[in-house]
Amino acid sequence: MHVIRLWGGTLARLVLGVVFAVAGWSKVTDLAGSGRAVNAYRLLPFSLAKVIGAGLPFVELALALLLLLGLATRFAATVAGVLMVVYIIAIASVWARGLSIDCGCFGVGGNLAPGVHPNYFWDIVRDAALLAVAGFLFLTPRTALAVDRYVLGEA
Amino acid sequence: MISRAKVKQANRMVREQLAREQRRRRTVIVSIVAAAVLVIAGLVGWAVYANQAPPANYATPAHASKDRTGIPVGSGPVTVDFYQDFLCPICKQFDSQAKSTLDDMLAKNKITLVYHPIAILDPSTNPPGYSTRAGAAAACAADENKFPQYFQALYDKQPAEGSAGLTNDQLMQIGASVGLTDSGFAQCVTSQKYAGWMAHDTDTAASKNIQATPTVLVNGKQIQNTVSDLVRAVG
Repeated sequence: MHVIRLWGGTLARLVLGVVFAVAGWSKVTDLAGSGRAVNAYRLLPFSLAKVIGAGLPFVELALALLLLLGLATRFAATVAGVLMVVYIIAIASVWARGLSIDCGCFGVGGNLAPGVHPNYFWDIVRDAALLAVAGFLFLTPRTALAVDRYVLGEA
Repeated sequence: MISRAKVKQANRMVREQLAREQRRRRTVIVSIVAAAVLVIAGLVGWAVYANQAPPANYATPAHASKDRTGIPVGSGPVTVDFYQDFLCPICKQFDSQAKSTLDDMLAKNKITLVYHPIAILDPSTNPPGYSTRAGAAAACAADENKFPQYFQALYDKQPAEGSAGLTNDQLMQIGASVGLTDSGFAQCVTSQKYAGWMAHDTDTAASKNIQATPTVLVNGKQIQNTVSDLVRAVG
């Protein structure tokens, strides 16, 4: 049981870390596009959407780094979970309002061309699964192969 | 009389208590540092973006529309705004379907057709940025009153998404094919004089929630990208 928690937590870190790294990296090369992707949700004024769009990819990359290193794991899991909740709410609200956009989760983003159908259901399923992984990691923050073992001392 | 075992046990409990305290303190400190790292990362992103953002004073092509974001053609009473990206295949498709209808409406002076080149597909070429370069070159053509001709020629030679796009030399050659042979045009294309204008166009369109191409507005109202809808809306 102990081993499962130890290595299960490591696996959870890797899954979340890789997803955030890919998501952040896909957007970091086009920050203006990232701002437009946030704007496409029509939840924030454009000027604020641009700020979020520029900052978010870097936050995702930094979070990925924390998770992959296993540093401040419980805190990182909390932030990951909160981000997932925000993403799920944002996608659900777009869905409810009948907008047709690409979630911009992994780059691209923006309105969809007519005739292209959005994937809101699977976007939400994916984010809910990642939320569950973050929840598991929050409950088992002491994982194998983590910098936390050296920084925080043995549990 | 306290037994030796009990003393040992008490000592161990105190040690464990202290260790727990220390772990808790370290966890709090590490979490605060981690939070600072995330905040700083966000600020770095904003700084990088602010650095990339085009300057406030940018060159606008001659004959641009009043709000400076489009190139108008014709002077009819109905305004048709056509937002397009030179890399977008559906834009090319829509243009080829609607061209004769639009030309006819222009000839009968029914519409003012405002072209809005925007760059939403910059990441879709390798190296990135073809949409901006092509749009900026088209603005150079607008300076010499040859925007519509150059627009058609660019779509005829449209590169594929994922390709390298056209080089500045190729953009100049396409200009030459519609009579843009002077050195001013070549200079304008190579210097990317209107790249800032493209960035502002794209931003302005996004602020109006126009971030897909093609997007066609008739008197400010978005229509379906079909010729029949265009005809119905213009009336």
